[in-house]
Amino acid sequence: MSLPKRLEQTSASILQKIKDSLDRLNEKMEVMIEIQKHGQRLGQEGVPDVLDVMTLLSLPDHLRKTAITLCKLEQATADEVAEQTKRARAVESGYLNQLVLMGYVKKERRGRKAYFYIEKEVEPGGGNKTWEKS
Amino acid sequence: MGKIIAIHSYKGGTGKTLLSTNLATLYANNGKSVCLMDLDFRAPSLHAIFKVHTEYWLNDYLNGVSDIKKVLIDLSKSHTRRGRLIVGLANPSTEAIREMTAKDRKWEMKALGRLLSLRTSLLNDMNLDYIIFDTSPGLQYSSINAIVSADVVLVVTGMDVSDIKGTQRMIDELYDLFEKKTGLIMNKVFAEVLVSKTQRSELAKQLINKYNLPLIEMIPCFCDILKTGGTTIFANENPEHPFMKTLDKVATSIDNL
Repeated sequence: MSLPKRLEQTSASILQKIKDSLDRLNEKMEVMIEIQKHGQRLGQEGVPDVLDVMTLLSLPDHLRKTAITLCKLEQATADEVAEQTKRARAVESGYLNQLVLMGYVKKERRGRKAYFYIEKEVEPGGGNKTWEKS
Repeated sequence: MGKIIAIHSYKGGTGKTLLSTNLATLYANNGKSVCLMDLDFRAPSLHAIFKVHTEYWLNDYLNGVSDIKKVLIDLSKSHTRRGRLIVGLANPSTEAIREMTAKDRKWEMKALGRLLSLRTSLLNDMNLDYIIFDTSPGLQYSSINAIVSADVVLVVTGMDVSDIKGTQRMIDELYDLFEKKTGLIMNKVFAEVLVSKTQRSELAKQLINKYNLPLIEMIPCFCDILKTGGTTIFANENPEHPFMKTLDKVATSIDNL
């Protein structure tokens, strides 16, 4: 392989790595912003809590609406939740991230989209692996 | 798109099962496709009313060991004149009842997911017009799961003061929070109260003020219904009975809620 071709390949892979890191950073920033905004902390060392109906009842009204919508959709982007609740995407994104922080909802980034879902199976030990996946 | 109706009450013995079975049969006799589900896992009753047996129960569906299609029994030939009537039964064995009462929160969360997915599997894929949930009374997981999954909730109350107070609290603290379309049915009303138009509208006004809910119907107490001991499905065996005339109005009101 010629030198310019090799250089081109190496720089492309470096750029991809930078992009992936930026995506991850972006994700962490979103969480930090949410933590600052709502003053919430991860409950019980990040052990996911269970989003059953009794929990739904105990949530504040604005979060309950988001959580029930996500229960119905099973997994969704903030856009898809906003479409159902008729609230702004940015608002739903904030609420969904808050539910993630509270340990009720999981988030996974696929490409440029962030998907939220309610965890069906908790691994033994209950570790929250969401952030490692992304 | 079909509709999921949950029939619930604060106390037991308000007539939920009688209303569910007859409403389901009435809809089916009107040519609709209906699925009636016994979600009263503490005191199952539909198996006894329809006199059917099954290998798979709704318990199995919620436990994730059976597909919903295996659970459903088609009673259209034996129990309806026109439409389609399908039932899902709760397992009445003591062991199953005990097992269902000992479920943890995680199980209840999954059960909610499975109830919610019936919208796709039954209303969309099987083209049903109505799913009717006959629920356990009071505030417990199985009934709240059913309420959350439903489009419309019918709350049945009697005239007993403890029932009225409890129902009121339940509406304020449960239904309102889930923002459900809810309608009230007052059952077993003294027939004398309903005879005079003034008394009738006075009672209706009181109920609407008290519960702040649309009043679907006030159903009189019929001694002959009690006499049948739950063995008669009036929608089939006695469709001209005044109870069925009232239920006709209930069916129309539900669609207009």
